[in-house]
Amino acid sequence: MQQLLRIEQIKLLNYNPFRITLALYFVFFALGILIYPAIDKEIPVISLSDLFRFPDIWLFLSWITEPYNAMLALIIIMVTTKEFSNHTFKTQVIFGLSRTELLLQKLLSVVVLSLFATLLVGLTSLALGLIYSYKLTFKIAMENTWILGRYLIAAFSYMSIGLLIALLIKNTALSLLTFLALRVFVDPVLFLILRKFEIKWYLPFRTITRLTPIPDLIEIFERKMNSSESINEATLDILPKGLPAWLNIVMVILYTSLMIFFSYRLMQKRKFT
Amino acid sequence: MKEILSIQGLSKSYKNIRAIHNLNLEISEGQAFGILGPNGSGKTTTLSIVTGIIRQDNGYFRWFGEEPNAKQRKTIGSLIESPHFYPYLSLEKNLRIICDIKGTSNADIGRVLETARLSERKKSKFSSMSLGMKQRLGIAAAMLGDPKVLVLDEPTNGLDPEGIAEVREIVIEQVKMGKTLILASHILNEVEKICDHVAILKNGELLACGPVKELLTEDEIIEISCGDNRLLKKKLDSSKLVKEVDSENGMLILTLNESISPADINNFAFSNQLVIHHMLSRKRSLESQFLELVKEE
Repeated sequence: MQQLLRIEQIKLLNYNPFRITLALYFVFFALGILIYPAIDKEIPVISLSDLFRFPDIWLFLSWITEPYNAMLALIIIMVTTKEFSNHTFKTQVIFGLSRTELLLQKLLSVVVLSLFATLLVGLTSLALGLIYSYKLTFKIAMENTWILGRYLIAAFSYMSIGLLIALLIKNTALSLLTFLALRVFVDPVLFLILRKFEIKWYLPFRTITRLTPIPDLIEIFERKMNSSESINEATLDILPKGLPAWLNIVMVILYTSLMIFFSYRLMQKRKFT
Repeated sequence: MKEILSIQGLSKSYKNIRAIHNLNLEISEGQAFGILGPNGSGKTTTLSIVTGIIRQDNGYFRWFGEEPNAKQRKTIGSLIESPHFYPYLSLEKNLRIICDIKGTSNADIGRVLETARLSERKKSKFSSMSLGMKQRLGIAAAMLGDPKVLVLDEPTNGLDPEGIAEVREIVIEQVKMGKTLILASHILNEVEKICDHVAILKNGELLACGPVKELLTEDEIIEISCGDNRLLKKKLDSSKLVKEVDSENGMLILTLNESISPADINNFAFSNQLVIHHMLSRKRSLESQFLELVKEE
């Protein structure tokens, strides 16, 4: 395992597109965080900086940074398809890696990047929470940290989809386009077509994004105003419902397992020329 | 001698094209074994199967008498077709990856780069190297971990004469060190210079296999003519003096059986009332023998 990690480390850290995409990921991540306090100044009645306080910061940051996982999936697509175009999968097999190890190698990259993304969200949330919170107890600070577990699963799932697409298509540009088309076009269109049916919540990307859902803003503002009367959410109907949380997690794990299974089957069958 | 590679009934087709058919080969320890054949004869397919790149349709092979597995491949040094490495990495970093795959120490990198005469370029990126250097790096990578077996597929392909000589020299050094070599080539001269055993393939089938000295020795042939070449050919065909009688430019070309001399042919013709007025003894080139063998089937 260590040996596979070392190999991936050499490949990734010296690969310019990886470094550039990762740098862009940081830039977008930082912009995402900086943009909200800016909005705050434009809307004086609703203070968005409330969202930067414990315990809501965990949910809020997980929600706003969730789309950036797509960039990590793009990295996985690039590094995997490059193995085909450089014929380096073949070289690694010749020198003694099994096909299972080739897949394991990529899955390790997925795990490392997922951990990295989760750690980044976790540490940033912690830092912002410490800066913005005025009521600071350990219990309040740690209240919503469970979302990081879901964020980890979401990041892993995103990259698993990327990995499967890369192994299936093999061509970098086509794989990137396919992934982006699925994420940006196919999923929303299908969601719209199926809007009247419950099945719309079972769409793969939908289940993944629902792992880190939009925070319950009403509850947050209610809490802030110390209102005893709860606003009728059903009347407002501004928050999408979706599947129950447990079923959503089960579906994502099921989809991810299928992605890995099909990736395994593909890796076993691929002819390395 | 210990068995290194045993191939039994190996077959592989690509859609309707038969790449190899029912191939049987035995390679023993210490042999420098050449797989010789024209382009498309199934050499690369055979080596690709035994190095795990592609799977056979039928038949099986054993490395060191055992079922093939990824662990065995770590003890074999292979170069199949052109070497493929990470273009954006230096030679040293590419070799570090191979060391990690093989589970050998990085300390070996210096030795193999030295052997492949690439020490001075160890920091250069793979993409910046010439074809000859890339080929030498492929051989250097194959030598990492000091494997007992080297599998090289067309190691001099596309190289200039200087590059060919350099690569050949490196390979011969390895053979002299007692390593088992499996070398696929379409160049007869290369196999003849490096190998002691050879298997000749054509259209995926084994035409001949054995020691180079037996299969590719320079046969003595004689060129003769007499008043009635047709009659002499008929008489010689029914005799046990010759292996083969061919006609070429009004002459008969005879390949003599062992211990038969040109004088015996002269006596034979004379006893059949045929007077030979032209007789010339010459050696048949290896090239023509190889071409004949491949053409015959």
